[in-house]
Amino acid sequence: MASAYNPIYTDVPEKDVFALHFLQTLSNLRTQNSFSSPDNKTSDRVKKIKKAAYVSMARAAGGTNRLWSRSLLHQAAKRNNKNVRFLRRKRRVTWLMRRRSNRGDPIEDVAAERLRNLVPGGGGMETSKLMEETAHYIKCLSMQVKVMQCLVDGLSPK
Amino acid sequence: MDLTGEFRARSDGGERCREATGLESLHLGDESRPLPPDNVGGFTALLELPPTQAVNLLRFTDSPSSSSQAAAVTGIAPTPPLHSYGTLTFPSNSLLMERAARFSTEHQQNGNVSGTSSVPSNSSVKTEPAETDSSQAVNSRSGKRKDSDKKAKSSTKKKKKNKSSEENEKLPYVHVRARRGQATDSHSLAERARREKINARMKLLQELVPGCDKIQGTALVLDEIINHVQSLQRQVEMLSMRLASVNPRIDFNLDTILASENGSLMDGSFNGTAMQVAWPHQVTETEQSYHHRQLQQPQQWPFDGLNQRAWGKEEDQDHGQ
Repeated sequence: MASAYNPIYTDVPEKDVFALHFLQTLSNLRTQNSFSSPDNKTSDRVKKIKKAAYVSMARAAGGTNRLWSRSLLHQAAKRNNKNVRFLRRKRRVTWLMRRRSNRGDPIEDVAAERLRNLVPGGGGMETSKLMEETAHYIKCLSMQVKVMQCLVDGLSPK
Repeated sequence: MDLTGEFRARSDGGERCREATGLESLHLGDESRPLPPDNVGGFTALLELPPTQAVNLLRFTDSPSSSSQAAAVTGIAPTPPLHSYGTLTFPSNSLLMERAARFSTEHQQNGNVSGTSSVPSNSSVKTEPAETDSSQAVNSRSGKRKDSDKKAKSSTKKKKKNKSSEENEKLPYVHVRARRGQATDSHSLAERARREKINARMKLLQELVPGCDKIQGTALVLDEIINHVQSLQRQVEMLSMRLASVNPRIDFNLDTILASENGSLMDGSFNGTAMQVAWPHQVTETEQSYHHRQLQQPQQWPFDGLNQRAWGKEEDQDHGQ
């Protein structure tokens, strides 16, 4: 595949990176509370797996380099009451300031608001940055969906 | 006749190049505007031709008949095709078209014959002064056209510079040159730069989301993108539910697999290496079958640490590539 030069950097690692992270997170889950089990098929389990999926995706995709992954990990860590420290970038202030001084298009403002609600960490971003993050987020989500699909297909009884 | 020289220089399409210059100019005039019959009256009065013949000359280019009439017509005919030729060669540049229209209106005001849409009141003007006038007008117009040519080139250059400045976004300062006819104060410049950024990213998103290329309009595209993100998130939720229902069967093995991967990978027993040797072909297989085999192993083979250690090795080997 020809590597086209794209000034907007939205590369995403391969599928096996995602797979590895997901499996690791799942196993961590299981070691944590395998014996104090909320047993079969309760909603807790689903939630945990879902959370594990998102966290692993965030770690696999960009770690703390991407805005959405950073806020995702932050949210997850807050729920676990862990102390997670990130490097606060000073650029954040200017993004906020720019956003307030935006006299925006009403059409795209409405849609941008909806996007911000969907994409994690979208609250403090300007519209162009938001769209970059959305592109990367879409790529990572589709990769994660593929990995999970493979897993489910492999596990489901014949 | 610099007129015809210019025509030859500009007629890039080989079809237009004819040896008879009169026919060439006739050709061009014919191409853009077949004369309405009421104007023929104006022309024919000047040419002192019967109207049918004049119409024939002006409409059918291939007629080799009456070159003399063609010669008579060439004195006047070049001027109407001139600005229509202007519209022919640079149809994409609306600025030149405006300029050409302006010229035509000017010369109409001067009472010149050159305006094709002019009222037949021009019939009073005689042919010879019309010729000299038209030649002067042609010269001035050709001079002006050269200017507008240059301006067209410079405007395209400016547009290119705009595009290249778009690509230099990662630099701290974006150098944007204003296009023709746009405001140049800093606010609108910044606004324009921002809008271009957003449009570039919108294009990127359009490529990502399937089926977004065909949609016109930013609002619908954004809606489609939002729908796609929501559907992906719902898919993740569905799959996690399915995983939760399937999960209990492989608890044990995943733990040991991943533990062993981080643990003692270096001590490979004979069986382990044999299994590794047996599986080099797996490296080229697809992800799905890889998962499939990995997760099916515990069901087929007995659980001994040996198997799982080799398994961990295999996984590591696969990920190493």
